[in-house]
Amino acid sequence: MALTPETLPRHELNGLPVRVVESDDDAREGLEGRVVIETTNTLSIEVRRDGESRVVMVPKSGSVFEFAITDEAADSAKESGTTSKLANTQPAETEQSDVADRAGEGVAYVTVDGSRLLSQPARRTETSGDSPWQ
Amino acid sequence: MTVAEERIGRLHDLARAAAADGEDDRARYYVRLARRVAERNRLPLPREFRRFTCDDCDTYLRPGKNARVRLQNGHVVITCDCGAHARYPYTEREDSVESDTGPESSTDGQ
Repeated sequence: MALTPETLPRHELNGLPVRVVESDDDAREGLEGRVVIETTNTLSIEVRRDGESRVVMVPKSGSVFEFAITDEAADSAKESGTTSKLANTQPAETEQSDVADRAGEGVAYVTVDGSRLLSQPARRTETSGDSPWQ
Repeated sequence: MTVAEERIGRLHDLARAAAADGEDDRARYYVRLARRVAERNRLPLPREFRRFTCDDCDTYLRPGKNARVRLQNGHVVITCDCGAHARYPYTEREDSVESDTGPESSTDGQ
C-alpha cells in the first residue's frame, strides 16, 4: 500500500509538501511548505522563505490542503510505484467529492478537505481498508 | 507492505533527518509517533529503529553526538545522553566478513 491519493488520508502526512488551498482565515491561504508536526486537530507547516523558516500551525477543520506526492517525498525505492499507479486511480477519484488529484510528471497533487484528516495521528491508519479480517 | 509499516519507515527517515539537523524535540516526536503506530497495529519495530532510538527518552541516537557506543565482550553497550544503557549482543562470524547477507550465509556453517 504505497502512498497514493486513496491511501493519503490514512498515510503519514509528516514530511509531505503541502499547500493550504482554502482556509477560514484568509491569512493562511496559499501557505506552502512541509508538514512537520501533526496533532489531532492541526497540522504544523514549516514555511521556508528567504532562507529562514518558520512553523505555522493550521487547524485541519475549515482548511483544504493540497499535498504533493512525489517520488522524492517517498524517498525510497519500494515506493517508486506511486506515479505508475496514478493512471488507474483517476476514475475512482472522481467519485469522491473531496479528494481530487492532478497527475503531473512524477508529481501528483492531492486535494484533501482538512475535516477528513481529523483524527489522532497514529489512529488515522486504522479507520478503513486492508484489514487482516476481511 | 501495509500503510502502517510504511508509516514507520517514513517516520524513521524523518527522525533521522531531524536529529541530523539538530531538531532533537522533533526527532523525539517522530520516534514516539512511530512507536505508537507500531503499537496500535501490533507490528514489531524494525531492528535498525530499535538500535538507534533510546527506550527511555525516545531520542534518536547518533553515535558520537548524543550516544556513546562501547564494545564489551560479546555485547554492545550504547549509552544515551539521558543515562540509559541499551545492550545487545554481537557475534563475530567468519563468514560475516565475505558476505553480510544475513540468514543465507549461515547455511554453510554446518
